[in-house]
Amino acid sequence: MTQRRALVVDDEAHITHVVTLKLRNAGFEVLTAGDGEEAYEIACAHLPDIIVTDLQMPYMSGLELCEKLRQNPATADIPAILVTARGHALSQADLARTSIREVMSKPFSPREVLAKVHRLLGIEAPEAREGEAA
Amino acid sequence: MSIGRAMLACSGAGGALAGLATAAIVRAPMGGLTAGGAAAGAFIGLLAGTAAAAPAAAVIGRGVERLRRSLLDGEGEDGPPDKLTRRLVGPLMGAIGEFRERTRAETRRATAGLRELEVRWRVSESERKRIESTLDSLRDAVIVTDNFDEMTMANEAAAALLGFDRGACERRPVGDLISDATLVRLIHQTRESGSLSGRKTVEYDLGGAPGGQPRSFDITMACLADHSGEGVGGVVTILRDVTREKEISQMKSDFVSQVSHELRTPLASINAYVEMLVDGEAKDESSRTEFYQIIKNEADRLGRLIDNMLNISRIEAGIIQVERTEVDFVEVAREVVEVMQPQARLKNITLLVRGGPSVYTAQACRDMMHQVILNLVSNAVKYTPEGGRVTVAVENDDASRSTLVTVSDTGLGIPPDALPNMFQKFYRIENYKRVAKGTGLGLNLVKHIVETVHGGQVGVQSTVGMGSKFWFTIPFEAGGRLAA
Repeated sequence: MTQRRALVVDDEAHITHVVTLKLRNAGFEVLTAGDGEEAYEIACAHLPDIIVTDLQMPYMSGLELCEKLRQNPATADIPAILVTARGHALSQADLARTSIREVMSKPFSPREVLAKVHRLLGIEAPEAREGEAA
Repeated sequence: MSIGRAMLACSGAGGALAGLATAAIVRAPMGGLTAGGAAAGAFIGLLAGTAAAAPAAAVIGRGVERLRRSLLDGEGEDGPPDKLTRRLVGPLMGAIGEFRERTRAETRRATAGLRELEVRWRVSESERKRIESTLDSLRDAVIVTDNFDEMTMANEAAAALLGFDRGACERRPVGDLISDATLVRLIHQTRESGSLSGRKTVEYDLGGAPGGQPRSFDITMACLADHSGEGVGGVVTILRDVTREKEISQMKSDFVSQVSHELRTPLASINAYVEMLVDGEAKDESSRTEFYQIIKNEADRLGRLIDNMLNISRIEAGIIQVERTEVDFVEVAREVVEVMQPQARLKNITLLVRGGPSVYTAQACRDMMHQVILNLVSNAVKYTPEGGRVTVAVENDDASRSTLVTVSDTGLGIPPDALPNMFQKFYRIENYKRVAKGTGLGLNLVKHIVETVHGGQVGVQSTVGMGSKFWFTIPFEAGGRLAA
């Protein structure tokens, strides 16, 4: 099986680091970005299989990033998981314009992130099932 | 009055004329006067046709003159009338006297009635003025319309808000006075609803001043009862400006959202790294140590954030205890520099304290002054590149009778558009977020401690690429909202 590629985006380096580590340990190739603009460039250049992004970031938010990715035919089908520390819920109308398939709240569990990544990519993984059961 | 005029004419004319005049009086519909008057008229008419008409006319003339004086001049009793006069004019005089008394009584009643009406009108007018003054004292705009949607009353706030002339608004259709069609329609619909029991409140944005932002209003409308108390006699409309309330509500909501974000971020790190350790994702000792250190740092960050928020809240609520002493600012600055030295050394930044030979002291809370200088120096070190310099200068500002402390750096500097926001809660310059971590509360706490607690001032000057200069003053004598 070919190695799957993930893009992890957060302006908090600790968060990027921990998600990267979790995905790498699960066999993913992981690219990272510190803001939406950088993430868009990397996504267009390297076409990852999945994107895990923070919502509130400088220059371009996670929502804007996923909207822009959706509008670009080359990146439109890359599924994204949005992780947010904002208390309020996002509207379905906002999400419908983007490539976001899952929304998670901070604090989050790296196990859950991995489980969602596996599910979105249709990967059968024992870790994912364990994570969900926990 | 017509009788008086008839009698005057009679006194200067001949007997026939007197007879006619008397007959005219008799024909007047005067109740009790008619019977006696008829007899006298017949008798006078008889005399007028005889040879003795001349002396009789003289007698009647005298009688009429007495009558005239009695009626017009109030000279009724100038001696007893002679017998003939009594016989000829007596009944007439009696009837006229009775008529006069009745007229006087009527006049008295009418005058009393008029006075009562005047009193009622004055009471009503003063009541109206009282209501108008009461309405004018309200900040809410109040308009009262009648059953034809015509303005019957409006307060000053309403005239100012809706832009009509209050002096010329009475009994004019609201549609002519108020340009906002929706508001006019709401008044009309409320009246048409015909419900006296309920009131209706709607939220509505009005245009506000020309060129200004629309303002939000809560509009409450209720029907007024008519004179019968059963039908609708008009509508009272009250417009309350809730723009500021909505802004405050939005600010609170944003604050809660921001606090939530700031608290969740370090908590997310702690949670994630603990889980990684539990799951054995840290493969070696070095990774585990790194994870422990991250957890410790993020927990400290969370602690600082909570401390800052609590301190700001306590100052804002005015419940903080302040112990003021004579503070030596040069000494405090040296202590701060000592605390910050390890961090500065990592970036090879030079920390300096400059204070003249004078004694720089002011009445202040020493711990708070330490916190203020520490926050400023810590920021300066964070945003100053390798090899830079941070200077704390203490001097006396004789003009404002204050101690002036300035923290200057050779750092990145602050863009002009960001300068006015530097002391706001949670404000952070987007582009600098990755340069250093921060809670976005440090400078807000500085502002609160200096201005609210100590009655001093804070400020900042900066040029991008040239560094920044943050300063604050503390008055020599105790000041500030929490001075007591």
